[in-house]
Amino acid sequence: MQLLRDILDKQVVDREQVKIGKVDSIVAELGPGKPPRVTAVELGSIALARRLGSAPARWTAKLAARLSGRRQARPHRIAWNKVHDIGVDIEFDIDVRRTRIFAWQDWLREHVVGRIPGA
Amino acid sequence: MKKLLEISLGVVTSVGGFLEVGSMATAAQAGALFGFQLIWAVVLGTICIIFLVEMAGRFAAVSHHTIADGIRERFGFNAFIWPLLAVLLVNFLVLSAEIGGVAIAAELATGISFQWWALPVAFLAWLLLWKGTFGLIEKGVSMLGLVTLCFVVAAVMLRPEWKEVAVGAVPSLPHHDTAKYWFMTVSILGASISPYLFMFYSSGAIEDEWDKSYLGTNRAIAGLGMSFGGTISVGVLIVAALVLGAHGVNEVDDYNQLPLMLIPIFGFWGFVLFVASLAIACFGAALEVALQQAYLLAQGFGWNWGEDLKPRDDPGFSLVYTLTLFLAAVPIALGLDPLKLTIFSMALTAASLPLTVVPFLFLLNDERYVGQHRNGVFSNAAVIFVIALGFVLAVVTIPLQIFGGT
Repeated sequence: MQLLRDILDKQVVDREQVKIGKVDSIVAELGPGKPPRVTAVELGSIALARRLGSAPARWTAKLAARLSGRRQARPHRIAWNKVHDIGVDIEFDIDVRRTRIFAWQDWLREHVVGRIPGA
Repeated sequence: MKKLLEISLGVVTSVGGFLEVGSMATAAQAGALFGFQLIWAVVLGTICIIFLVEMAGRFAAVSHHTIADGIRERFGFNAFIWPLLAVLLVNFLVLSAEIGGVAIAAELATGISFQWWALPVAFLAWLLLWKGTFGLIEKGVSMLGLVTLCFVVAAVMLRPEWKEVAVGAVPSLPHHDTAKYWFMTVSILGASISPYLFMFYSSGAIEDEWDKSYLGTNRAIAGLGMSFGGTISVGVLIVAALVLGAHGVNEVDDYNQLPLMLIPIFGFWGFVLFVASLAIACFGAALEVALQQAYLLAQGFGWNWGEDLKPRDDPGFSLVYTLTLFLAAVPIALGLDPLKLTIFSMALTAASLPLTVVPFLFLLNDERYVGQHRNGVFSNAAVIFVIALGFVLAVVTIPLQIFGGT
């Protein structure tokens, strides 16, 4: 398996097969005298913006902090040991409803989409 | 039997998807000004889109990825962002043009200026997406789209010199209005080879849960559906050449000239048929482009998506098509000329092709995605041809916009 080829930018689903995002970046741990070890994947606009450069990263982090408070100023992380299956999508053994990943979609549902009749 | 039904439905769907304001307007303009001479551009564009649609369907059926998923996963986000931005922009302009097309049809029918119709049209389209399912939109609107076959009937009833039609199917150099000739060529190609068409098709294949057993169905739908669509465009071109050209209307620069096309053949009903064709073809396309905009963002960023879900289950997805539809209606409501916008956005579509078509060359030859169903020599040659064409179009479009644009 090659990390960049086979993991990065793949679709992520939770244990209910709900699409929760793409693998926007990969977090590895470097220990002295040990090979690097993948510890987590990151999801969300801040992780994505970091890949585009340091300026987009700063703006996105600022925007996220302004919109949804300090807690959202860092990307969402899912621990690598939660990986359940790697196929067309990567399935993590988590329940998206118990994370903050969908906070913005929940906000939209509550304040915008849910208020339109027929939603 | 079930497959046969599915093929015929698919063909109907692609006819509905193929014919929209762009192909109607460009074919009519080309016919009025150059007679049958530009039929070859419609034929060439149709052949190209057949190959691309077949590949998009095959990619989805075998790899269970849409084209947008595939581009992001295979090339990474930093590469994906360019086709993403280009397609978002082109789709937005095309959507605006389609809304304009429906609004013009409403103006022709009622006499009330098209500007007033832009927002009601957007609202109706939004309502269908909000409440409807993928099947309803795909099949229902496309069935109605068959009314556009009246152009083929009209073309046959006009008894054109079929020999001249055949001559027009072979590329030739213009005798007059050289810059305009090439600008029309670019616009026709842009109208036929629309990225939203093959990207939407791959999303549809995923929505309909295609697998490898659909490969034959896919080939039949792509070939027959797009050929039918191309035939209707040629029908529009022939009718425009024989009716508008013969009446001395060489410059179609006003939508009001277009309904004249069918009146000599069908009388008053010709007017009704034209208005219905324009309205339905553009409305169907508006639905597809708005959905495609939402598919593209949802697939690019990995959100939950699906036209069959309730809006509250995919709020990001449904909000994208909502905003897109209403924003795209704004330029028309402010009085931007739909015909000018159409021709402009078709040329821009052509220029954006390399960004969306280059990935096909890699995705459809990558065993990790398509396994043994890789592209053959023909398909690869077709992709390379479209890419080359796209590059040429991208380079010439901008000067032609300035010198040949209407």
